[in-house]
Amino acid sequence: MTDEPTPAVEPADTAGTVTDPAPAVEDDLLVEDVSIDGMCGVY
Amino acid sequence: MPAAEPTGFDLERRYALHPQVAVRPEPFGALLYHFGTRRLSFLKDPRLLEVVRRLADAPTAHAACTAAGVSEAELDRFARALATLAETDMLEVA
Amino acid sequence: MRLVDQFERGLDAPICLTWELTYACNLACAHCLSSSGRRDPRELSTVEAKAVVDELARMQVFYVNIGGGEPTVRPDFWELVDYATAHRVGVKFSTNGVRITPEVAARLAASDYVDVQISLDGATAEVNDAVRGVGSYATALRAMDNLHTAGMRGFKISVVCTRHNVDQLDAFKALADRLGGQLRLTRLRPSGRGADVWDELHLLPGQQRQLYDWLVEHGEGVLTGDSFFHLAAYGSALPGLNLCGAGRVVCLIDPVGDVYACPFAIHESFLAGNVRSPGGFGGVWRTSELFRSLREPQSAGACGSCGAYDACRGGCMAAKFFTGLPLDGPDPECVIGHGATALSTVDRHGAPRPAGDHSHTSGVRGGPVPVTIGRHPPEHACDESPLAGIGAGP
Repeated sequence: MTDEPTPAVEPADTAGTVTDPAPAVEDDLLVEDVSIDGMCGVY
Repeated sequence: MPAAEPTGFDLERRYALHPQVAVRPEPFGALLYHFGTRRLSFLKDPRLLEVVRRLADAPTAHAACTAAGVSEAELDRFARALATLAETDMLEVA
Repeated sequence: MRLVDQFERGLDAPICLTWELTYACNLACAHCLSSSGRRDPRELSTVEAKAVVDELARMQVFYVNIGGGEPTVRPDFWELVDYATAHRVGVKFSTNGVRITPEVAARLAASDYVDVQISLDGATAEVNDAVRGVGSYATALRAMDNLHTAGMRGFKISVVCTRHNVDQLDAFKALADRLGGQLRLTRLRPSGRGADVWDELHLLPGQQRQLYDWLVEHGEGVLTGDSFFHLAAYGSALPGLNLCGAGRVVCLIDPVGDVYACPFAIHESFLAGNVRSPGGFGGVWRTSELFRSLREPQSAGACGSCGAYDACRGGCMAAKFFTGLPLDGPDPECVIGHGATALSTVDRHGAPRPAGDHSHTSGVRGGPVPVTIGRHPPEHACDESPLAGIGAGP
C-alpha cells in the first residue's frame, strides 16, 4: 500500500470471469477476477 | 517464439505490480487485491505468484517466467495470465 | 480443482468480512438484519477493537465492511477507521447517512482506502420511508448530495430489494448515475427483524425473474454482493463467486465480539466463538468447530437430483434456517418452486428466532411501528431500562 495520492479510479465494470468458465478451457485459465463486492455474506 | 498474445501485453517488456495491489499467498497460488479498482484476482498456480514476485527485478516478463520455472511450452499460458493481470491494472509497465 | 471448490474448503484467513461496530442506531428499519437500535453494554472497547484490527492486518484480510446498527454513532468511529487503514486494512462502512456532513464527505473524497455505502430502500421517500422511517430518505439523499458535491465518486448506494421497490430499479440506477454513486442491489433475507416482515416484503416469483432479467440487461456496473446466486438457476450466473462464503471466505464480527458465519445468521447455531477468547479472532477463524464443519463438503440433500443445483448451490443458508427449512434442501425462494412447496409443509411458527434483539423498545420518531408480537424475551434485565443504549446517540 502506498501513501502517495492517486487519482480516483472508477470501479471496473467488467463482469467477473469467475462466473462463466467454459469447462473445456477452465484448466487453462490461470487468473480469474471478481469485485471485492462479489462475496456473499458481506455488507 | 510464443504464439500471438493479446493486444497490449509484451513478454519482452519489464512489468511490475501496481503499487496499490496487495498480494496474499495461498495454497492454490495467491490472492491479489487492487485498492484502486477494488478488484480481486485469483492466481491459480503458485508458479504464477513466483513470476509476479520476480517481475520487477527481471529484465523482461519472459525472464521472470523462466526464473520461476515456467517451461517454454507453458509460456503461452502464463503470458495470457499476465496479460489478464495487465488488462485489469494489477500489473503496469515498469 | 475449480476455484469455487477451493473456496468452499475455506481459506486460512477471510478475504474480507463484516464488522458490526455497534447495535446502537438512530433508525428502526423494519427489516434490520441485526435487530439493531439499542447499544449493547458489552460492546468491544476501543482498545479491544484495535486489537481486532491488529489481527486482521496480520492475517492480511484485505477489507473490512463496517456496519451495525449505525457505526458512525460510536465516538471512536473515525479513530478505528483511521487505525484500520493505517494498518493496511481497507474499510467500507455502511451508514444511513446521518453523520455524512460536508466535512465528512470531503474527508472521504480524499481517501483511497475508505469507502462509504449509503443504505436506501426506495427511490422515492414514500417507498423508502415505509421501511426505514420518516425522514430517512431525506437523510440518505442529503448524505449522497454531500458526497457528490465533495467530489467523491463511486460511493455505494445499497438497496435491499423488496416487493415494493423492485419496480424502481431504473430509478435507483438513475439516482446513482446522477449523484456519482454505484448502485448495489442485495437480497432480503428473513434475518433479524427481517424475519417479521419477510412474508410481506420478499420478492414474489415473477419479481425475482424481473430482477434477474434487469440485472442481466442493465446490471453492468451494478454490484450485488453475490446476493443472488440462487437466481443462477434461471440461466447464466451473475458476476460474483456464486457460492455461500459464510465461514469459508467471509464472516461477521458483531459488536460484542461474537463471530458468526455471516451477518444474516446471527443465531447460536452459527456462532463460531468470540474474539475475547484466548486465541482471538484468528483462533476462532482457524479452529472453530462450526467453521470446520462449514468447510466440509455440504450435502445437497433433497436438491441432489436437481439439475439446477450446480448453479444455485442450494441457495442461502440463512434464508433456509430462519424460515424453518432444512439446510440440505431448497432455498425458500428456489426459482423452480421447490422452496415454496417445502414452505407449505413446514411449521413457520417453529422456525428459529434471531438471537439478541437490540431493537428500540419504544417508537423511534417517525420510525416504522415496531413489531412486538413474537419477539422473544430480552436477555438481560438492563435491556428494559429506558436508559439502555443512551449516551452516544446522535
